[in-house]
Amino acid sequence: MKSSKFGAWAAIILGVVYFLAPLLATFEFSLRMRRGEYSFDAYRVVLASGNFRDSFLYSTVLAFVTIIVGVLVVVPTAYWVQLRLPRLRGLVEFITLLPLVVPAIVLVFGYIKLYGSSSLLPLTATSLGADALLMFGYVGLGLPYMYRSVETALRAIDVRTLTEAAESQGAGILTILFHIILPNIRSGILSGAFLTFAIVIGEFTFASLLDRPAFGPYLQLIGASRAYEPSALAIIAFALTWACMGLIQLFGSGVRVSADKR
Amino acid sequence: MTTVAAPATRVLRFPNLAAWLGVAPFFVFAIMFLIAPTASLLVGAFQDHDGAFTLSNLARLWQPSIRLSYLLSIEVSLASAFSGALIGLALAIAALRGGLPGWVRPTLMTFSGVASNFAGVPLAFAFMATLGRLGFVTIVLRSVGFDIYAAGFNLFTFTGLTLTYLYFQIPLMVLVVAPAIDGLKAEWGEAAEILGAGRLQYWRMVVLPILWPSVLGASLLLFANAFGAIATAYALTGSFLNIVPILLYAQIRGDVLHDPNLGYALALGMLLITGLSNVAYLYLRARSDRWLK
Amino acid sequence: MTKLKLQQRMKLFASMAAMALAFGAAPVLAAPPDELVAAAKKEGQLTVIALPRDWCGYGPMIDSFKAKYGLPVNELNPDAGSGDEVEAIKANKDNKGPQAPDVIDVGLSFGPSAKKDGLLLPYKVSTWDSIPDTAKDADGYWVGDYYGVLSFAVNADVVKTVPTDWPDLLKPEYKAGVALAGDPRVSNQATMGVYAAGLSSGETDAAKAGAKGLEFFADLNKKGNFVPVIGKAASIAQGTTPILVFWDYNALAARDTLKGNPKVEVVVPKTGVVAGVYVQAISAYAPHPNAAKLWLEYLYSDEGQLAWLKGYCHPIRFNNLVETKKVPADLLAALPPAEGYAKAKFPTLEEQAAAKDVIAKQWDTVVGATVAK
Repeated sequence: MKSSKFGAWAAIILGVVYFLAPLLATFEFSLRMRRGEYSFDAYRVVLASGNFRDSFLYSTVLAFVTIIVGVLVVVPTAYWVQLRLPRLRGLVEFITLLPLVVPAIVLVFGYIKLYGSSSLLPLTATSLGADALLMFGYVGLGLPYMYRSVETALRAIDVRTLTEAAESQGAGILTILFHIILPNIRSGILSGAFLTFAIVIGEFTFASLLDRPAFGPYLQLIGASRAYEPSALAIIAFALTWACMGLIQLFGSGVRVSADKR
Repeated sequence: MTTVAAPATRVLRFPNLAAWLGVAPFFVFAIMFLIAPTASLLVGAFQDHDGAFTLSNLARLWQPSIRLSYLLSIEVSLASAFSGALIGLALAIAALRGGLPGWVRPTLMTFSGVASNFAGVPLAFAFMATLGRLGFVTIVLRSVGFDIYAAGFNLFTFTGLTLTYLYFQIPLMVLVVAPAIDGLKAEWGEAAEILGAGRLQYWRMVVLPILWPSVLGASLLLFANAFGAIATAYALTGSFLNIVPILLYAQIRGDVLHDPNLGYALALGMLLITGLSNVAYLYLRARSDRWLK
Repeated sequence: MTKLKLQQRMKLFASMAAMALAFGAAPVLAAPPDELVAAAKKEGQLTVIALPRDWCGYGPMIDSFKAKYGLPVNELNPDAGSGDEVEAIKANKDNKGPQAPDVIDVGLSFGPSAKKDGLLLPYKVSTWDSIPDTAKDADGYWVGDYYGVLSFAVNADVVKTVPTDWPDLLKPEYKAGVALAGDPRVSNQATMGVYAAGLSSGETDAAKAGAKGLEFFADLNKKGNFVPVIGKAASIAQGTTPILVFWDYNALAARDTLKGNPKVEVVVPKTGVVAGVYVQAISAYAPHPNAAKLWLEYLYSDEGQLAWLKGYCHPIRFNNLVETKKVPADLLAALPPAEGYAKAKFPTLEEQAAAKDVIAKQWDTVVGATVAK
């Protein structure tokens, strides 16, 4: 056991070095706004901006909604495919890989074409409609990660037995899904939630082309012409996103699942 | 009513109808927000500038320069997927099963969540600020006498790009494979020990076969992730590494090249390659599935 | 009969005088007609695209337009390239929502091609006559708005000897020092940079200059002086792209933004000076066409033109404004020395197309794309 701990620590430490170095370099550069000395000027400029607050808030709320809708779409699907429709697995998995490979620009232009103001479902015409369209787009973007995480978690538990047991107690399908299955695939859902959250916060193309006041376009705007503020912004965004992940983690791990502690 | 291979399914009273209804929302969502929008534009791959039907765009995909582009894209994606998968797996196992203090796991998970999407211009800039000629690490190493650039390193190459891609590939692997590692029951480890298996045997004969399908599935995800990634490559090496997404974007949004129909054909090609890799993954997984359960 | 003729003559003379007054006065007054302002206000907003706030002083211009006419301005995708703007019009043909741009500001060659695709709405501003013929479409579909020349933006803290001309860039002291601000197969700014390098060798034919420019960059790359990163203010400051081939207005804006940290020198090269003209056009599918027309009137008024000059861009009516002594001396002083501009080459549409053709198609084979593992 002792030798494995050393190996584990070595891996973690190497990982920490690799992941922290670029962050440190970005942080160091962001402190250089004042000539000749280190200062937090760049941070002051960024945090004072109303745009930063508003766009970050917008993206955060959108991210939470996206996660909820994503879970509602993915969990039943993964469950039924595993339980009763294994032949659909290939098709479903291919669909979940689409958002990774289809360029964002193609998808958004498709949205504008299909849901533009003169189509059957004019979502782009109202701001709530455009928000909804953006949210569905983001559910799509998060689909590969959410599906893969949930599916991996489902494989690790015995879905069939759990279902049969619950059924024998008289549980209906909704009870089974939300009170039996969901708590057992918590780690998968959390992984998917983290990934979705990060995607929504930083996403640019969808938000920009659908003309929504999200954080991504704001980041891009600052990065285009300023030198030090983008680095400060990157660090702030990193820290804030990490904090939100922590909140999701806390919320999601309300009941400590025994598998965690092993 | 019941599938042939299933054991005692008498308890599952749901007709298949319930299953189909259960997956319906997914397909409705996929059609409305993934398939239809994509198809409505990719039909342009079969059209020319005036809208007439043509196969010439697809024929042009076979040009040596575009073929090379696909090859390069596949190489870059494989490199970062393979190394990302291995390193990510090692990190995940270390954090989840390495007997480390309790705070390591949630920290690694949440950090991986953030890092998995730290890509594009900020990531490219971060690496330039770290390993560029005037980068932080470069200067620190030079001050202790080791000049990495003199030793032949250059950030703006295939290696540099792969190294940069790993920043979001490794966390992705960690997050996606974590649930599978969680599923490794302690009883198996104990049983293996009781039966006299050494650590290596345990890993090789018990853990690996069980984790294998999930690892493969996660690797495929990493591959597709890298395959479709453009922002980081563009920001780091600009026009130098001619991967397909850059070529695609140049055609769809370019000032100069501007041939959207060719761009759509390129996208179609990417979809085909992704589909093929998915088929390969399914085949490999079906083979390994036979040894489980 | 003489009396009638005299009356007719007087009428003719009066109407001619009125017309002369109207046309002659227009460049001076440049006040848009009230009906246009009312119609624009009724439409409710203006949607622009690809106008970074730091580019040619667009930020202050948009703000003062908003203040002057009380019309909100929706700023789409400031980082968009000319191709993106045209694609945005095409993608939003049937969409009148806020995602559809009303006006575009694109590279010269995009004007005629967008007109050919039927994407533009013709409109001649009231100051039309004071705009040089070579910089506008005869039917009013597009009109030149400003120009600048390619310069070197140099991080003077990192680079000890500031280069003064293209051949200087090949010197060993500039190892890993030179970058373009875009992808030469895609970006107008980058392609013109390669063309300028070619012109500097003395070649005047456009296609051959393009080829010569490619050779120059191939040489630059072989010597290890070329950095394939797409440069911007941040990369100049960080040191990855200490010498950036940038439009002069971008370079000067970057210098101002960085506020001396680091010190940025803007150098117009001695040879190979290329001027790039951008053009303004109204989308044929604009949801707010009158607001678009009002915006154009504002841009081509003296106020708008001088606002561009304040952003370091030479407005298209620059010569007219200088002749009529409308340009404040301090504004002129803030620009790089006029001698650099005297030698500027304004490539025609055909020359641009010829150079771009060569550069875009051969960049990969001549300069880059051999993957260094």
